[in-house]
Amino acid sequence: MIGFKRTLIPLLLIFAGLTTGCAPPRTLVSKAEKFPQMYVEQPRSLLVLPPMNESTDAEAKAYYMTTVEMPFALSGYYVFPVEMVSDIMKQEGVYDTELLYQLPLDKFYEYFGADAVLYTHIKKWDVAYLVIASNLTVSIEAEIVSTRTLAKLWSYTGTVVVDLSGGNQGGGLAGLIASAIATAVNTASADYVRYARVANSRLITSLPAGPYNEMYLKDQNDQIVDQTPKQ
Amino acid sequence: MMLSESLRRGLIAVIVVVTLSACAKPAPLYVYGDYSESYYRQAKTDNEENRLKLTESMEKAIEKADKSRSGRVPPGMYANLGYMYLKAGNAQKALSNFEREKAVYPEATHFMERMIAKVKLAEGAKK
Repeated sequence: MIGFKRTLIPLLLIFAGLTTGCAPPRTLVSKAEKFPQMYVEQPRSLLVLPPMNESTDAEAKAYYMTTVEMPFALSGYYVFPVEMVSDIMKQEGVYDTELLYQLPLDKFYEYFGADAVLYTHIKKWDVAYLVIASNLTVSIEAEIVSTRTLAKLWSYTGTVVVDLSGGNQGGGLAGLIASAIATAVNTASADYVRYARVANSRLITSLPAGPYNEMYLKDQNDQIVDQTPKQ
Repeated sequence: MMLSESLRRGLIAVIVVVTLSACAKPAPLYVYGDYSESYYRQAKTDNEENRLKLTESMEKAIEKADKSRSGRVPPGMYANLGYMYLKAGNAQKALSNFEREKAVYPEATHFMERMIAKVKLAEGAKK
């Protein structure tokens, strides 16, 4: 009996650890309950504005911008070409993202014919150096606002935290130095972009499907993690 | 009573399968090829070579549209390609791609017509 316990309990612990690794226990809510207006207004097109960079990395904006079109298009929306939209706003004299985010929404409908605008905020795009480990964090907050009713239709946050220490802590001081070098090598901008894509895919899971996706108006009962802060 | 070796192996196999299947993704709606990578590289270093590579990635994604689940070119791809041509000074190719964007995605009509009018006006002014 002891042998059985000795084998099974660690295995069960590993199993529990692995299954919860993707999603720790959280409150679930259906898409229709959380974002009812998406199903009422049924926007077809999204105008992706350049991201608002609230991180410490000045390059984050240009790099993150290259990752937004794909996931939102794949979930079924018509996504306006990001680079063109950004350049046109500059030609119209709006260089500052903060100003852009304050523009009245009907302007976007008037100029582009967009049903809704997608605002993205880069909350975190950095590496925290700890004593022996370091973590890369990419955190993106996104929201969709209607250009017709001005209602906020959807908002969600996608965060990715990556342990860069590589798991190899053996070898004393030499090991520490090696992992410090590995960390420096590991945090090229390409890595941020890679994890930004993962953060995006986490955001997207909560978004009701758009008209070009087979799941359009069929995913009301899909369960998503409720990110509303606990009162 | 020790847990038999075969049972233990079975349990490990179950763990592996559950872990892997939890993160499986369905086939894509559109084919993007290496568009995203090329776009990133061009954003990082904006030079002639990277712009050319990005243009090629877009053209390839358009060629392979029939390999996607939707059979359509991704939204914005014709517009993006047209814009690359516009920046490279090829107004005719820009216009034809803006027209295609409009034809595939009616949502783009208003914006594309505005762009087409702009390009034509600029071209007229050159003459």
